[in-house]
Amino acid sequence: MTVLVAYAPAPEGREALTEGIKEAHLRKSDLLIVNVGRGHHDLDEQELQELEGQLTDAGLALTIESSILADPGDAVIQIAQDRNAEMIVIGLRHRSMVGKLILGSTVQRILLDATCPVLAVRSDKL
Amino acid sequence: MLDSAMAALASLADPSLLIMLLIGTVAGLIMGLIPGLGGTGAVAILLPITFGMEPPQALALLIGALAVVHTSDTVSAVLLGAPGSASASVTMLDGYAMAKKGQAARALTLAFLSSMAGGIIGAVGLTLAIPLARPLVLSFASPELFMLTVLGVALAAVLSRGNIIKGVSAGLLGLILGMVGTSPTTAEERFTFGSLFLGDGLSLVAVALGVFGLAEIASRASQRRGQKQVITLGGGWGQGIREWLTHWTQVIRGALIGIWAGVLPGVGATAGTWMAYGQAVATAKDKRQFGKGDPRGIVGPESANNSVEAGDLIPTLLFGIPGGVPSAMLLGMLLTYGIQPGPSIITEHLDLMYLIVWSFAIASVLGALLCFLSVKQLAKLTKVPFAVLAAGLVAIMLLGSFQEGGQLGDLWIMIVLGAFGWLLKSTGFPRAPFLIGFVLAIPLERYYFLTDSLYEGFDWMARPGVLFFLAILILPMIWAFIKFIRARRHTNVDDGHRDEQPEDDEAPLKNSTWSLVASGIFFVAFAAAFIASFSFSPEARLVPQLVSTGGLIFSGILLFIETRRRLRDRTPKADATLAAEAEGILDTQTTKAGWTLDAKFALKTFLWMTGFLALTAAFGYLIAVTIFIPAFLLIVARARVKTAVVYTLVLYVVLLALPSLLPIDLPQGWLNTIV
Repeated sequence: MTVLVAYAPAPEGREALTEGIKEAHLRKSDLLIVNVGRGHHDLDEQELQELEGQLTDAGLALTIESSILADPGDAVIQIAQDRNAEMIVIGLRHRSMVGKLILGSTVQRILLDATCPVLAVRSDKL
Repeated sequence: MLDSAMAALASLADPSLLIMLLIGTVAGLIMGLIPGLGGTGAVAILLPITFGMEPPQALALLIGALAVVHTSDTVSAVLLGAPGSASASVTMLDGYAMAKKGQAARALTLAFLSSMAGGIIGAVGLTLAIPLARPLVLSFASPELFMLTVLGVALAAVLSRGNIIKGVSAGLLGLILGMVGTSPTTAEERFTFGSLFLGDGLSLVAVALGVFGLAEIASRASQRRGQKQVITLGGGWGQGIREWLTHWTQVIRGALIGIWAGVLPGVGATAGTWMAYGQAVATAKDKRQFGKGDPRGIVGPESANNSVEAGDLIPTLLFGIPGGVPSAMLLGMLLTYGIQPGPSIITEHLDLMYLIVWSFAIASVLGALLCFLSVKQLAKLTKVPFAVLAAGLVAIMLLGSFQEGGQLGDLWIMIVLGAFGWLLKSTGFPRAPFLIGFVLAIPLERYYFLTDSLYEGFDWMARPGVLFFLAILILPMIWAFIKFIRARRHTNVDDGHRDEQPEDDEAPLKNSTWSLVASGIFFVAFAAAFIASFSFSPEARLVPQLVSTGGLIFSGILLFIETRRRLRDRTPKADATLAAEAEGILDTQTTKAGWTLDAKFALKTFLWMTGFLALTAAFGYLIAVTIFIPAFLLIVARARVKTAVVYTLVLYVVLLALPSLLPIDLPQGWLNTIV
């Protein structure tokens, strides 16, 4: 089984990653990272290696996957279905009603369309 | 209304119209197979043939081709995994995956049937648009029409893929280029440099074939080898038909998205198909199969693909603003026949409108049928290396652009614009706004002066229609600005549904010295236009100066961005890690900049074209062909001697017979004038 983390180079993405790592250790599941940021702002090499080492110590695997789908929400859901992920971890932040209305929201799409449980983490905690 | 629709259908029983429609359909199918030509190339190559025809025959031919270009471009995408056009690359995702599983027939059935349905739904959309838009269109006066032309150029610039500033600069330069020739208001000559043949303005065919056709050839001529793969059609015809029937909602949805993408200027088939694909994925519950052979990934995009061309025709015919490049050329053709799209076509030429609709629908069905019957032969055609095709295409394109004015000068302009078009393509400038601007330049100026003379001061600005169009003009700009701000702040990670096609390598020379040079050319061109326009009378000066001022501002911004990027890359960073990172960037940039292999090859191809034209000017077209074709085939395409000889002979015979079959003149050389 795998835990899928939707990573983006933003506070929300970082929060999702930390929470996802915790969840992977807790569930003894492999970790799967999907980059959803615009452009190619992937995690840097050094951090990835550290993370991989940390996970292999616990006997878990780390994979990074991308999809041909342009929409990040669809990409996350497709990979989750494909890899039979037990959980998707996403980071979110408050968006205004108007903002969501005009520009839409990837997080909302994942929450509504995902076929597995979704763990949503807020980056601006108290 | 119904009367004229039926009358138009009855007129299609005329054998000459039917033959033209059939010829157009076959030509469209073949051109759909050639990579890079697409609807633009099909219309541009066929347009010269129509010069001697009556409007209905000409329209049947062109619409027939336009309707089916996107039906056949799927073949190579599915069978070989090499899309014939940018928009077919969407079908490749699932179609090629299916073909690899030995189900190419299933994918092709889905694609052909959806293309057919998309074309028919597009034609229905066009039909419905006529009565809906009629009262609106008839209420338009010159202020609204002026705003519409401005809107046409502006939307094309903003909505085209890539950088908005680049889009606007390209659109404005197109406008300036369109103003070359006699001014519509004062009948004085502008930007002609005293040359007589520039007095009629630049030829539309030459501009379109240069900027799109020759540029495409130059960037692809390096493909010497054809696809070596074995083509297997496999089974699944019946399964394809059944699946197509179950996914009928996707077909309709795809077609509607296509029509919408077509209506918007500058949003063409490529963006439309990606939108349809994104939509198909978003509405599917089980997304696992997308990219691995999901029928829904073929049905929607293929349907959208064809309906885009019908959607393009809606604003073109009803409002006189082209929705895309092929329809911009169609608009130019209608204008040469004295048929003014917009209010007058609805009142005076309604029969032509319905003829277009029927031709589109019939051609869609015919195209799909022909594809089913000849799929094996079509597949073989896609295996011909592009370099071999390029030789014939260059000869045909040069012959085509000669037909409009019968001037060799047009051909020189075409080659220069071809090089310019290649530069635009490789540095990421959208070319659609450029051509749309070129076509709309004269209408824009004419409507402006009509408005100015009929209304006191800025009274016309207060007309409700004008205000409405102003709002449409400004909204996308605000939208783009918001997106830009959010992208800078990196707060856009969560932003909505993204349908856009993934970043591709369409513009390999982006952010290199080349794009700096391109911005420089833009700036200099606008500056020259600005200075040159001082010698015109005040009426003739106004619009060119406004446009070139705008152009100076936008290209100035571009130039500033490009220079700043280069300077920033050069300055070493203090921080160690940053320096390493910067070096990484510099490395990729220095390999990008300067003479890349592609750039060298493109330059060589243009030199070949120039050589061909010089031969034509000296010895006449036929002699030039007999020298150029075998030389190009043997040296550039590295074809076998036998191929070269047969190729040249066939082309020579065809060209010899052509003037007696079609109203076509072959260019005469300097030698012919002596003899």
